[in-house]
Amino acid sequence: MTSVAHPAGRRLASFTVASEPGNERVARARVAEAVAGLGLTAARLDRLKTAVAEATMNAIEHGNRNQPEIPVDVEVTQDGADIIVAITDRGGEHEPAGPAADPDLDLKLAGAQPPRGWGLFLIRNMVDAMQVSTDGPRHTIQLTIRAGAGAPEPDLPGGGQ
Amino acid sequence: MNDRTCAAAVHAVDGTAIIKLTGEVDGSAAAVLTSAYQQAAADGSAQTVVLDFARVDYINSTGIALIVSVLAQARAQRRKVVASGLSEHYREIFDITRLSDFIEVFGDLDTALQMQGH
Repeated sequence: MTSVAHPAGRRLASFTVASEPGNERVARARVAEAVAGLGLTAARLDRLKTAVAEATMNAIEHGNRNQPEIPVDVEVTQDGADIIVAITDRGGEHEPAGPAADPDLDLKLAGAQPPRGWGLFLIRNMVDAMQVSTDGPRHTIQLTIRAGAGAPEPDLPGGGQ
Repeated sequence: MNDRTCAAAVHAVDGTAIIKLTGEVDGSAAAVLTSAYQQAAADGSAQTVVLDFARVDYINSTGIALIVSVLAQARAQRRKVVASGLSEHYREIFDITRLSDFIEVFGDLDTALQMQGH
């Protein structure tokens, strides 16, 4: 399985949340607090918060299978203009393990795909980079978003992302 | 019930049903949203359903799926769905998911209703 280098840079926050539904809100709020004042525009902060919430929800549900005693680790670092959030569960290799096919709204409306399945798609479209790695039971999704002037706007569908 | 819990109020105005949502649109909103749409659809004259998000502060991927389900039901019943009151962030998410290809988005409820001829 792939491995992602541990992010270098300055650690802004490191915490855990219990694997209980709803705790993605805790992760979202604490990450927002950790990156306050680092130059993210309001729009990009909203995107990061959505990505963190979705990734944490995946870690709770799919990684740790809603077992409260198993923690989700969240680490926030800054490396130059990059803000990096690593979210780790203990579920080993599981979905999402990497880029999957994009959800197709036409198929969903036609009943040919289930209505769900937007999480990973949203994460990918909210941040500048997403990497997934597994090290034994530890499954990490690493989100990178650039702060400050010149930070790219995430592409809309069809924009080549 | 806390202030995050999704709630819905349904009104009808001359062929348009309005579903005013408050709180958070996530998995816990399933029963509320389903019931609200059924109530809106019970008025057979409603050709358009307005989903008003002005008092919604969080929509997650499960909430997007619920909106897709409502849209699918409405389309099957030949009803139009429009949205109002979305923040810039959730307007962007409607664009990214292509929901805005099927749900016309208006800045606020008054504008949405005016554009339906009210």
